[in-house]
Amino acid sequence: MSAEGLLTAIRALFPVLTALSSLALVPLVRLWRGPQRDDATTYATFGVQLLLLATSVGAVLAGAGYLSTLKIGQITIDPSEPGRLLVLLGGIVFAVIVGAGEGRRAGTMGQIALFGIAAIDLALAIPSGIAPIALLLFASLAISGAAASGKDDVGRARAVFRDLRTVSLLLPAVVIAEILRVAISYAAVDASYATPASLAAGTALGVSLVVIVAAGVFPFHGRLIKIFEALPIVGSLLVGVWIPSALALIVMSELSGLASSITDPLGGAIVPGILLAGAATLIFGAVSALLHDDIGEIVGFMAVGNAGWLALAAAASLQSPTDTSSRLIVIPGILSISLFGLWLVSVRRRYGTTSISELGGWARRTGANGIALGAAIVALAALPPGAVLAARLNLLLLGGNPLVAIFAVAGQILLIVAAVRLLLVGFTPQSQTVHEAETRPFANVITISLILGSLFVAAAAAGWLSIESGGTGPLPPAPSVSPAASFTPAPSSDPTVAPSQDPTPSATASPTVSPSGSGEISPAP
Amino acid sequence: MPSPELPILLIAIVAGMLAVTSAGRGAWVAIAILALSSSALEFSVGDPNRIGLILRLSAIGIGLAAALPENLFERQALRRDLAVRTLVQTLREHPVVVASAMAGLLLGLVPLALPIESSSDPLRAAGVALLVVGLPPLLTSRFIEATTRAAVVTLSGTLLLRTSIFGELDPLAALAIGAGFTCILVVGGSVATRISNAEEE
Repeated sequence: MSAEGLLTAIRALFPVLTALSSLALVPLVRLWRGPQRDDATTYATFGVQLLLLATSVGAVLAGAGYLSTLKIGQITIDPSEPGRLLVLLGGIVFAVIVGAGEGRRAGTMGQIALFGIAAIDLALAIPSGIAPIALLLFASLAISGAAASGKDDVGRARAVFRDLRTVSLLLPAVVIAEILRVAISYAAVDASYATPASLAAGTALGVSLVVIVAAGVFPFHGRLIKIFEALPIVGSLLVGVWIPSALALIVMSELSGLASSITDPLGGAIVPGILLAGAATLIFGAVSALLHDDIGEIVGFMAVGNAGWLALAAAASLQSPTDTSSRLIVIPGILSISLFGLWLVSVRRRYGTTSISELGGWARRTGANGIALGAAIVALAALPPGAVLAARLNLLLLGGNPLVAIFAVAGQILLIVAAVRLLLVGFTPQSQTVHEAETRPFANVITISLILGSLFVAAAAAGWLSIESGGTGPLPPAPSVSPAASFTPAPSSDPTVAPSQDPTPSATASPTVSPSGSGEISPAP
Repeated sequence: MPSPELPILLIAIVAGMLAVTSAGRGAWVAIAILALSSSALEFSVGDPNRIGLILRLSAIGIGLAAALPENLFERQALRRDLAVRTLVQTLREHPVVVASAMAGLLLGLVPLALPIESSSDPLRAAGVALLVVGLPPLLTSRFIEATTRAAVVTLSGTLLLRTSIFGELDPLAALAIGAGFTCILVVGGSVATRISNAEEE
């Protein structure tokens, strides 16, 4: 390989290479400090944090241009703008979370974060279809398995078991959607097929299920709550928020393509169904967040609320394929929930409890945590009003259903109220637990990074930095796919339809035949 | 239809049925046979992609090595659990699974409103049969090892169905799916171990 080719490969695979390098770095640091030394874990954590930040910087430097596009035979890895933006933000977010989390497994959690964001970057860099979706689903399963390891906790193991079942069920849904998608072009020339509108509805349902189930849209929220209850926060955020959001970007791209490819309105009640599920999820997540007293569960329900927005965005992708509002809200949503996760891990580490009843006065005792939660609330409310809030309102307008819009707005307001409630608890008289907790001085690296990190992430989430539009960038286009041409044709079974001369649809109706089925769910002609 | 396809297909379906109905050794040996036969079917279509087949078999091999329970290869026990009479008895005790497989096989052979005019009938039938055998336990089983095996059966069926229509996977998708098989087996094995350890404590 030439030097230029090597440089291209490094640019294309930088997050993956950094994640792999952590596998060598952590043992080397432990070897250097010696297993008996208490500071070995601290150094390993610090090393992993540096790698996370290096991934961010590397993503910015490598970018998503043609210089980063790697071609190996038939394989093309073309880093996308949304993927690189997620790496940039993910590196910073998880470096701060790992620092705030401290503890024996902080370094391992940092490594998990490195692999998680590398998987997201890679999935958004390869041609759309079954490969990126499978990559993200299996990465999610691997991350939940790795994050749950370390202790024999039945709750954790059951959360992973649930994830295993979910992932195994979603892949058949994607493949069936892919088959239905290809059938759309055949329906135009063969009456024995279902109508294009109904086939498109089936495709949309199959593809949307990936986001609906993975993100935890009502009534599939149980998995998400279990994840937030059982897994460490890095694992919870990756499996419950970051990976589902990356899946949402892929799915929205597919849905936009699907909606553009058919002229008739989508059959069935797919769009109203997804809209209703989104609004119900927002209300359900917000009310549940208000009713629960465990901050882990509350953050889990905040994530459920965010899943409601993803469902509304998926419906908007079907209704208005060219509108970018649906993809614009994805990254701010990820960052808002990550900020709540950062606050959660910091409070849990400091006070050793997640019960609101034992956390009275936490904000007065640890002001930095108060700043982190304040930043999370600003991010959630997207204040001051700007592009993010406008995109959310646009989604509601595209939905075209006033009832759904009212429910969604009410849900979002209740989510903010639930977050403000957590902040208010911090200003009540100090509980015994809070009073007795050890706090570190304000002028401390971890505290300063917590504050600066929270402010930066909140600024990005609320739209102050205007980087959210990076999430609307195009994903690598999928190559055309059609049924394999190598099989022996069989006649149509429908006796009422005269068999055509050519067993496959005519060239004008059929997509281009490619040598291998890539699993693409790309627009039909 | 190429001559070796039919016996391999039947072996895959019987192995799929045994993987979800047997317990212990029988089930794990069945899953290994299913993996071998379904991968051979999947990658024999069109231009055989030997790298894809090797990759898939390596991935499943690694997964099985990590997930297999201890004492699996005890000679006497293996001989007892894998006796033809035992296997037939197991299938006779689960007539619903056998009926589902038969129904799936027939359903797969009948052309439906799908782009299947140009697809491979045997692969499609095997894919649908494995899907209907694997999905019910995947949805309902409360046992982790059984769910893991059902996941492998379902995924194998899904990929056969897909291959019957679109041909073999492209290299990236083959890599992702291979990693997925490993992931399911490793994570399933680790969760089963963790829960049994926690329950022992």
